[in-house]
Amino acid sequence: MLAMIPIRDGVVPAGGAETIAECAGRALLAGSSPQADALDGISGDLRLVELGEYAPARWAAALAPLVDDPVVVLPASPDGRDLAPRLARLLGRPLFAGAMLVRPDAVRLVRGGGRGLVDVPVTGAIVATLQPGVRGVDVEPDARRTATVEEAADTTGTVDATVVEVLPPDVATMDLAESARILGGGAGLDAADRFRQLAVVARSLGASMGATRVITDRGWVEHQRQIGTTGVVVDPALYIALGISGAVQHTAGLGTPDHIVSVNTDPHCPMMQMADLAVVADANAVLDELEARVRG
Amino acid sequence: MIVVCWKWVTAGDERWSGVSDADRAALEVGLRLAETSSTSVTVATVGPPAAEHGLREAIAAGAADAIRIEAPDGLASDAVAVALAAVAADASWIVCGDASADRGTGAVPAFLAAELGVAQALGLIGVTPDERTVRATRRLDGGRREILDVTTPAVLSVEGSVARLRRASLRAELTARSAAILQVAGPPATAAHAESHDVQPYRPRARAFAAPAGVALDRVRLLTDVAGGPAPHAELVVLDPPAAAERILAALAEWGYLSP
Amino acid sequence: MAETDYDVVVVGAGPAGACAATVLARAGRSVLLLERGPFAGSKNMYGGVVYPRILDGLHPQWWEEAPIQRWVTRRSTMMLTDDQALTVDYRSGSWGRPPYNGATAFRPDFDHWLAGKAEHDGADLVTSTTVVGLLRHPDGAVAGVRTDRPDGDITARVVIACDGVNSFVAKEAGLYGAVDASHFTLGVKEVVALPKEVIDERFNVRGREGVDIEIVGGTGGVNGGAFLYTNLDTLSVGVVLKLPALAAQQQRPETIIAGIKAHPAIAPLVEGGEVKEYSAHVIPEAGMAMMPKMTGDGILVAGDAAALCLAAGIWLEGVNFAMASGIAAGETSVEALRADDTSEAGLAGYRRRLESTFVLRDHRKLRRAPELVLSDRVQHLYPKLVTNTVEAMFRVDNPTPKPGLRRIVTAERKRLGIRRRDLLRDGLTGWRTFG
Ligand SMILES: Cc1cc2nc3c(=O)[nH]c(=O)nc-3n(C[C@H](O)[C@H](O)[C@H](O)COP(=O)(O)OP(=O)(O)OC[C@H]3O[C@@H](n4cnc5c(N)ncnc54)[C@H](O)[C@@H]3O)c2cc1C
Ligand SMILES: Cc1cc2nc3c(=O)[nH]c(=O)nc-3n(C[C@H](O)[C@H](O)[C@H](O)COP(=O)(O)OP(=O)(O)OC[C@H]3O[C@@H](n4cnc5c(N)ncnc54)[C@H](O)[C@@H]3O)c2cc1C
Ligand SMILES: Nc1ncnc2c1ncn2[C@@H]1O[C@H](COP(=O)(O)O)[C@@H](O)[C@H]1O
Repeated sequence: MLAMIPIRDGVVPAGGAETIAECAGRALLAGSSPQADALDGISGDLRLVELGEYAPARWAAALAPLVDDPVVVLPASPDGRDLAPRLARLLGRPLFAGAMLVRPDAVRLVRGGGRGLVDVPVTGAIVATLQPGVRGVDVEPDARRTATVEEAADTTGTVDATVVEVLPPDVATMDLAESARILGGGAGLDAADRFRQLAVVARSLGASMGATRVITDRGWVEHQRQIGTTGVVVDPALYIALGISGAVQHTAGLGTPDHIVSVNTDPHCPMMQMADLAVVADANAVLDELEARVRG
Repeated sequence: MIVVCWKWVTAGDERWSGVSDADRAALEVGLRLAETSSTSVTVATVGPPAAEHGLREAIAAGAADAIRIEAPDGLASDAVAVALAAVAADASWIVCGDASADRGTGAVPAFLAAELGVAQALGLIGVTPDERTVRATRRLDGGRREILDVTTPAVLSVEGSVARLRRASLRAELTARSAAILQVAGPPATAAHAESHDVQPYRPRARAFAAPAGVALDRVRLLTDVAGGPAPHAELVVLDPPAAAERILAALAEWGYLSP
Repeated sequence: MAETDYDVVVVGAGPAGACAATVLARAGRSVLLLERGPFAGSKNMYGGVVYPRILDGLHPQWWEEAPIQRWVTRRSTMMLTDDQALTVDYRSGSWGRPPYNGATAFRPDFDHWLAGKAEHDGADLVTSTTVVGLLRHPDGAVAGVRTDRPDGDITARVVIACDGVNSFVAKEAGLYGAVDASHFTLGVKEVVALPKEVIDERFNVRGREGVDIEIVGGTGGVNGGAFLYTNLDTLSVGVVLKLPALAAQQQRPETIIAGIKAHPAIAPLVEGGEVKEYSAHVIPEAGMAMMPKMTGDGILVAGDAAALCLAAGIWLEGVNFAMASGIAAGETSVEALRADDTSEAGLAGYRRRLESTFVLRDHRKLRRAPELVLSDRVQHLYPKLVTNTVEAMFRVDNPTPKPGLRRIVTAERKRLGIRRRDLLRDGLTGWRTFG
C-alpha cells in the first residue's frame, strides 16, 4: 500500500500521518516544498516530489506515473478529495472514498455523514481516501525515517484554476487545540445568543468553547472554534457536548477525552453513545440552569 | 448553458426523499451565475424515474430545462460522472453540491472535471460571479482558506451554506408539474459500477497503539488496570433541566474538575 | 363572473381536505389542495385510531390499500384509581375482517395516502405552502387565497377551509365567535417501541389484530382521559387534558403520562418500551357548543376547522367526522358550481348534508358528553366508586358473609361523599348520551 500525501508549502494535511501509518510507512509526499521533517515521530520510507503551486489536474497527471502499488491511499482532506478521483481515473482504478479502514483485500467506507458503514471486498488495484481522525496514530520518539527525492515527469494539457492566495487561520484565537477542557455546542442550541452563554459557562469551568461546523457556518461562532476534520483537531481531558449529534467529521477531531458529557434530546445519536454521562434533556434549558449555577 | 447536478436520494417513498442542502445551494449558485451571464440553467440527474420529483422542484425554482439520465440507484461515482459529462459537454459552468445526501464523498464533481478535461474548484464556501470568471473561496483544513480564480468552462462544487435556494412561486410550482423532462439512456448497471447498499450502523475503529517504552510489567498493569483508577462507566439519564445541571456539576466534581 | 384560477381551493391536506378535493376532482372540477407541511400528514398527530367506514362510498375496498397498522378487534374501557382498575372489554371477530371497523394508523401514512388519492383523481396538491390570507370581492365574498409563496395569490369560486383546529381561514372569514380556552383540550402522546411478538402476547392478539383501550381517571387530578393503542411494533400512549384544569394544577403533561404508564394496570403492558416520539396538539373538545358558522359567501368550513371533533375522555374521534364533512363540502361545492351560485345561500346545502349524516347527529347526541365525561364527579369520584364496589364484591374476607351489592354501593357512595341525586342525574345524562 502506498500513501500519497498532498503537501502545501511544507504543511502536511489533516490525516496525513494516519494515512502513512495505514500504509505501514510507504509514502509519497508530493506538492509544494515537501519535507520529511514535517512528520515528527512518524516512521516511514518517504519519497519526496516537488510539484510547485497547487493544481489538482496537473498534480494528478504528474503523480499517476509514480504509482507503483496496487493500493494507493490519500487522506480525505480537501486536497486529497480533490486529487483522488483524478488519480483514480488516470490509473483506470475504482475509487473508494471516505474509508475508515483500508486493507489490500477490503475497505470499510463511512457513509451518510457518519451514520453508516459499508464493507467492500477489494479485488485488483484501487485508489482510496482515508477519513482523517478515524484511525489515530502513535507518535514514536525514536521514529526511523528514510527520504529520497524524486523528479516528476513534465505534464502538458492540463487545466486548473488559479490560486490567488491561501489565507492562514487566525492564530490569535486558536487556543482550542491546547485546551484540556472543552465545552462544545451544536445545532441543538437554538440561537446565536446561546454561544455567549456557553462562553460564560465555559470560562467559569476553566474550559474553552468549541462548536460544530453547522454553528460556524451560521456565523454564530468564528471558524477557529470549529472542532473536527475541517476545523481544529483537539485533545482535551474533558469534553461537554450540548446538542451535538457526533457526526464522524466532528468526533474525528476530538482526540481521546478521559470524560465526555453529552446533553441531547436524542438518546441514540453517536455523541450520546460515546459519553460517560449522557443526559437526555433540552440542551438550551440545561445551559440556562448551568449558567444560573456557575453565576450564583 | 449552465448545468446544475442534482442527486435525488430515495429512502422509502417521496416523503422521505430529496436532495442535499449542498445540491440546493448549487442550483441557487447556478441561477445567479446564469443571471450575470444571461444564459439559462439545465438541471441534470442520473437516477431512476423517481428522481424526476427533484427535477420538477428545480424547474419550479427557475431551471429552464431538465434532463434525467436513466440509471439504477447505487451507480459508482465515476460512472455517474461519465453519464453527466455526456450532457454537460457544452456547458460554461457545471455546478454540483459538495456532497450528495447519501454517499456524500464529493467525488462526482472531481470525476466530472477530469472527464470533461476542465478546471475544478471544489468544496467552496463562497462564490462571487463575474461574467466569465468566478472568484471562489475554498475550505482547506485547519481553518485555512484558499482563494481561487476560475474561468469557464469549469466544475464548481459548493457547500450547503453558500446560498439558500430561492422559494418557487406558486405558479411556477404548478406549471413545473407538466414541464417536459428530457430522458436519456444511461450506462448499463454492471457489478463493477455498483456500490453495495448493505449499510451497517457506524461504530468507531479500534485504535491500535504501540506498547510504550519501559518495563513490560508496567504495561501489563496499565492494560489490566490493577492500579485502580476510574473504571470505564457510561450512564444514560433522562432528567429535567435543573436536575440535569446538578447531575453534570456533580459528575464534574466527582471526576475532579471542580475545586471543592 | 371573471375566470378564476381554480374552481375550488381547499386549504389543508388533512382527512377533510383530501376528501373534499377528491369529490371535486372526480366531478371534473379544477381543484387546488394547499398544504403547509412538506407532505400531507407530515405534522398531523392524533391518538391513533381511525374509523374509515365513511370511505366505503368514496374509495370502495379502501381496506385493501389504506396504510393501517392494526385492525381494532378489541376495545376496552378502563376506569382507574391510584392503584385499582376496572376494565370492560369487548372483542369482535368481525372487526378483524372486511369491511372492518376501526384501525390504528399513523397520520403521516394515512393522510399521505388519502391526499395521494385526490392527486390521482386530478386535484393539484402543492405542499410547503401556507395560506396567509383570503382574497375578497368588493362585496366581501371570498374570492381566493393568498399564500406565503412569491406570486402566491390564487383565485377560486369556492374556498374550503380544512386547516384544522383553531382554523385561521375560518377566523379570517369571520365565521368564528370569540373562542374560549375552556372549550379546548390538550392531547399529548408518546409512541413507545416494543417488538411485535411482545405486543401480540401482552395484548392477546395475533397478526394484524389490535387493541384500543380508553381510560377514565388516572390523569393525576387533572380532568381528562387517557388512551393506549397498539400499532404494529409500537404503542401509542397518551392523555387528553382539559386546558384550564391543566393550568390550574400546574402539572406537566409528561408527568401525567408517566403516571399512567406506571399504573399497576398499565405498567405490565408498556414496560421495557423505548419512547420514540413525543407530540402534543390542541383539540376542539366541546362539540356542538363551539362550532362556527360553517358557510359564508364563497367559503365552507370542514373537519376540525369547524370543530367537528369529539374528544370527551373515552371518545376520541375526529378523522371520520373530518372525512365525512370533507365529502359533504365537496358535494355541496359541486352542486353550487353547477347551479352557478356559490354565495352563502348557494352553499346552504352543506348544513343540510351534515344534518342528514352521522356527523351532526352524533354531535347532537353527544352534546353533553364532554361536559359529563370531564366533570369532576366522573373524573375523580366515579372511578373510585365503581372500582371500590367491585373490589368489595371480589374481596374474599371470610368468614364474614358477603354484603349485597346494594349495600356496598351505598357504603362506598357515602364514603366518597357522592350525593345520590347527582349519581342518578349523571346516570341519566350518560344513558341519553351514550346509550
Ligand atoms: C467533508 C466534511 C467535513 C466536515 N468537517 C466538520 C468539522 O470539522 N467539524 C464539524 O463539527 N462538522 C464537520 N462536518 C459536518 C458534520 O458532518 C455534521 O454535519 C456536523 O458536525 C453536525 O453538527 P451538529 O451536531 O451541531 O448538528 P446536527 O447533526 O444537526 O445535530 C444536532 C443535535 O442536537 C440535538 N438536539 C436538537 N434539539 C435539541 C435540544 N433542544 N436539546 C438537546 N439536543 C438537541 C439533535 O438530537 C442532534 O443530535 C463536515 C462534513 C463534511 C461533509
Ligand atoms: C391527541 C389527539 C388524539 C386524537 N385521537 C383521535 C383518534 O384516535 N381518532 C380520531 O378519529 N381522531 C382523533 N383525534 C382528532 C383528529 O386528529 C382530528 O379530528 C382530525 O385530524 C381532523 O382532520 P382535519 O382534516 O379537519 O384537520 P387536520 O388533520 O388538523 O389537518 C389540517 C391540515 O391543514 C394544514 N394547514 C393548517 N393551516 C394551514 C394553512 N394556513 N395553510 C395550508 N395548510 C394548513 C395542516 O398542516 C394539516 O395538514 C385526535 C386529536 C388529538 C389532538
Ligand atoms: N446521480 C447523480 N446525479 C446527478 N448529480 C450527482 C449524482 N451523484 C452526485 N451528483 C453531484 O455530485 C455532488 C457530490 O456527490 P457525491 O460525490 O456523491 O458526494 C452532488 O452534490 C451532486 O451535485
